[in-house]
Amino acid sequence: MTAVGLLAVLVITLVVFGIDPQRGLSLIIEGAFGNRFGLARTFVRATPLLLCGLGMTLAWKSGMYNIGGEGQYVAGGIAGAVVARSLSALVPSVFQTAVLVGSMAGGMALALFAGWLQVKRGVQCVISTILLNFVVLQALAWCVRGPLQESKHELPLSDKLPDTLMLARFDHQTDFHAGVFVALGVALGTWVYLTFSRGGFLLKLVGENPLVARANRIPAARIQMTAMALSGALCGLGGGVDYLGITGQIGDGFSQNWGFLAIPVALLGGLNPFGVVGSSLYFGALMAGGEGLARFNTTGSTLVSVIQAVAVLGFVAFSQLRMRRPAVPHD
Amino acid sequence: MLSVRSVSKSYGSVRALSNVSLDFMPGEVHAVLGENGAGKSTLMGVIAGFVRPDGGEIVLGDDRLPADPVAVRRRGIEMVHQHFMLVPNFKVEENIALASLSPLARRLELGPLTKQAMDMASSLGWHIDPKAPTGTLPVGIQQRVEIVKALAGSATVLILDEPTAVLAPDEVADLMGVLRQLRDHGVTVILIAHKLSEVMGIADRASVLRDGRLVASTLMSETTGEQLAGWMVGGREPPSNLQLGEGGVVVLRAHQLEVTGDRGEVAVRGFELELKGGEIFGVGGVDGNGQVELAEALARVRPLRSGRLEWSGRKHPVVAYIPQDRQTDGLALKMSVEDNLKLAAIADASLRFGPFLRPKAVRDWSRSLVERFEIKATSTRQAVGGLSGGNQQKVVVARALARQPDLLVAVNPTRGLDLKATDYVHGRILEAAAKGAAVVLISTDQDEIEALSDRWTFLSRGRTVDRLVGADI
Repeated sequence: MTAVGLLAVLVITLVVFGIDPQRGLSLIIEGAFGNRFGLARTFVRATPLLLCGLGMTLAWKSGMYNIGGEGQYVAGGIAGAVVARSLSALVPSVFQTAVLVGSMAGGMALALFAGWLQVKRGVQCVISTILLNFVVLQALAWCVRGPLQESKHELPLSDKLPDTLMLARFDHQTDFHAGVFVALGVALGTWVYLTFSRGGFLLKLVGENPLVARANRIPAARIQMTAMALSGALCGLGGGVDYLGITGQIGDGFSQNWGFLAIPVALLGGLNPFGVVGSSLYFGALMAGGEGLARFNTTGSTLVSVIQAVAVLGFVAFSQLRMRRPAVPHD
Repeated sequence: MLSVRSVSKSYGSVRALSNVSLDFMPGEVHAVLGENGAGKSTLMGVIAGFVRPDGGEIVLGDDRLPADPVAVRRRGIEMVHQHFMLVPNFKVEENIALASLSPLARRLELGPLTKQAMDMASSLGWHIDPKAPTGTLPVGIQQRVEIVKALAGSATVLILDEPTAVLAPDEVADLMGVLRQLRDHGVTVILIAHKLSEVMGIADRASVLRDGRLVASTLMSETTGEQLAGWMVGGREPPSNLQLGEGGVVVLRAHQLEVTGDRGEVAVRGFELELKGGEIFGVGGVDGNGQVELAEALARVRPLRSGRLEWSGRKHPVVAYIPQDRQTDGLALKMSVEDNLKLAAIADASLRFGPFLRPKAVRDWSRSLVERFEIKATSTRQAVGGLSGGNQQKVVVARALARQPDLLVAVNPTRGLDLKATDYVHGRILEAAAKGAAVVLISTDQDEIEALSDRWTFLSRGRTVDRLVGADI
C-alpha cells in the first residue's frame, strides 16, 4: 500500500515537472538499481540515513523530539577525526573501532546535553537540538581551519586518512564499504532492544505515557536521558561511518543534510527499525537514482528533493487518515 | 420525543449494541442502567452523534438525527461525558464559552457567554473560579464545570454519563435537585448511572442494557431495586465478602507528613498514621482536599516536603499503587493489555534474562493475569484503550496485585465501575489485605470506605478530621 503510494508520488512529481514519467522512472531505477554501481550508491547513501534514522526512532519513541541528528552526525565526524588524529600507528581494526567509539561518544555528548537541558532545565529538546546543530556546524568550520586542519594549512579540510585505515571495500570500483553492514547490524540490534529488552519497553512506555511511568516509580527522566544518549550515539556513529567509509576527511560540507533527512526517514519508517531500513533504502535509492536523472536533466537533483518532501507529506496525511477513530470509546 | 430505533453497533468482533429501540419522553428522567461493557456509553455516543451506528436511526420529533455531534448539539441535545471533554490549558470560563461560540470573527466577550453557567453554578452552591486553569482543578471540580457547561445551554435533551462518580453525597443531592427542576421544565434527562440508589430516588423510568441488548424498560413505580439489579447482572450471585486476616505488627509509620501539591501549595499537613499488615485504613472526604498528594506520597511517587515515612516490614517492600484516573496515570491506552501488565513483570527475575524480558514467559504470565482477574479482552495484544472502563480498571488492579503487595495504596479504585466490577475490585482489595498487605484506601465514596476499612479518617484541606461538617466540605 505504502509502496504503491510512494510510486504514485514519484510519477505525479515527474509529470508536474514535465518529464516523461516512463523515461524518468527508468532513469531513476537504472541509477539506483541498474548495475552494481547503482546498487552500491543506493546502499552507501542509505547508510547514514539508516543510522541517524534509528537514532531518531529511539529518541522519538521515548517522547524526546530530537531534531539534532544533523549536529550529532557532525559531532560524530569531528570526534572521529580527533581520535584519528591522535592515534596513528595502529592496526586498522583497532584504529577503526577507536574512531567509531569516539564518534559515538561525540554524538552522545551533544544529545545528552540537549536531554539534560530538557529534563533538568525545562528547555524543550526540539528547540535546543535545532540550535545545537548550528553550534556544531560552526565548531566544525573552526576545527577544520584550526586544530584539525590538514598539515599544509591551505584548505578548510582535515588530513585525508590513508586508504589502509579506511573501512574495508569489497569492490574497489564502488564506494560500497563495511559500514553498510554495521548500519544493518545496528538496525537489528535496535529492533531487538525495542522489542525484547526491559530498557526498550520502558523507553516506549515513557514515550506513550510518562504519568504511568511516574505512578509506577519508573524514573522517566533517566530513561529519556538514556534514549537521547543512544540516539546521539547512533547519529554520531553515522558520522563516524561516513568518515571512515567515504570521505576520509572532514570539511565544511561533511554532512549532506543526512541528519535532517533522517527525520522523514524515521517517520516514513513508522518509527520501527525494520521500517526505517526500508525507508532509508527508499531515500537512498531516490538519491542514487536522482544522480542518474540529473545527468540527463538539469532539474534532476532538485526534483529528488521535491519527491522526498511530497513523500513525507503524503505519508503524514495518510497516517492521520488511518488514525481517525470514533471520538467516544465504547463503554 | 427522542427515539432510538433498531440501533446496532459493533467494534471489531465485539457487539456493543444489537438492535436497541428505546423512547425518551419530554419531562422525564430516564435512567439507563447496565454493567460496564453493557453498551450504555456506546448508545449515548450514538445519540450524541459521536458514534455512527452500523444500523438503525435516532429520531427527534419528526427528524432523523445525523451522526454529527455539532448538528446534534444544535438540536438541543447536550451530553456530560464520563471522562471530561475539557481543554486542560484553558480557563474554566473559556471552556464554558466553547459550548456557545459561533461567529469566529466577532469580538470575544467571555462574561456574557458564561454568565448563565456561572449563575447556575452559584445557585447550586458550587464555587468555581472562572479564571482558574481547568487542568489544575481536582477532578470533582472539573466534573462540576462539565455539568454547568451542559446545563447552561437551552438543552431539550440532557444526557449525563455517570455524573455522580466523583461527587460527594450532598453534591449528588444538589445535582438531583437540578435535574428535577429541568424535568419539570420539560427537559428529557437521560441519566446513566451504576448506583441503583441514586436512580431509585429520581428516575421516572429505567431501561436496562446487558451485553448490548435492551433487557427491560419500565416505569420506576412498577419495579424494585432487586428486580433492576437482577436484570443488570443477569441472575448472577454477587460475590461474598472475604474474611479479614488477623492484624499483624505495625509496618508503616507516617509521622507529621507534609506534601507539596502540583501548584506548590502544601496539600497535606501533619498526617499521622500507624498501619498494621492486613489492616485497611480508609481516608474519606471530598475530592481535592489532598487525597491524591497523600496517596502519591505514601506510594513513594511524590517526594515528602517534610516528615517521616518509615517502613518496618520487609527490607524491600512491594508497594502497589492504584491511581485514581486509569486513563491518565493508570494506563498507556495505546499500548496492549500485555504491555500495560508488563510493568509489573519487569521486577520479576523469573521473567527476565539479563537485560531482556523473556517474551514467551511474559506472554504466559500476562495471559494468566487476564484469566485470574477476569479481564475481558479479545487478546492480550489488544490496545487497552479499546477495553470497557471496568476491564481497564481490572488491568490496573491486576498489575497492582500481580505480586502480593506489602503496602497497597488505592485511590477511588471503583470510580465509574458498575456493581459487579465494584464488588470484584473490593473483593481483590480485601483478599490482598487478608494475605497480609497493609492497605490505604482513599475514596470519595463513604459507603466504600465503611464497607472495606477497619478504621478511617477524613481529609479536609489537607488535614485529617474525625468527621466532616459543613464548612469542611
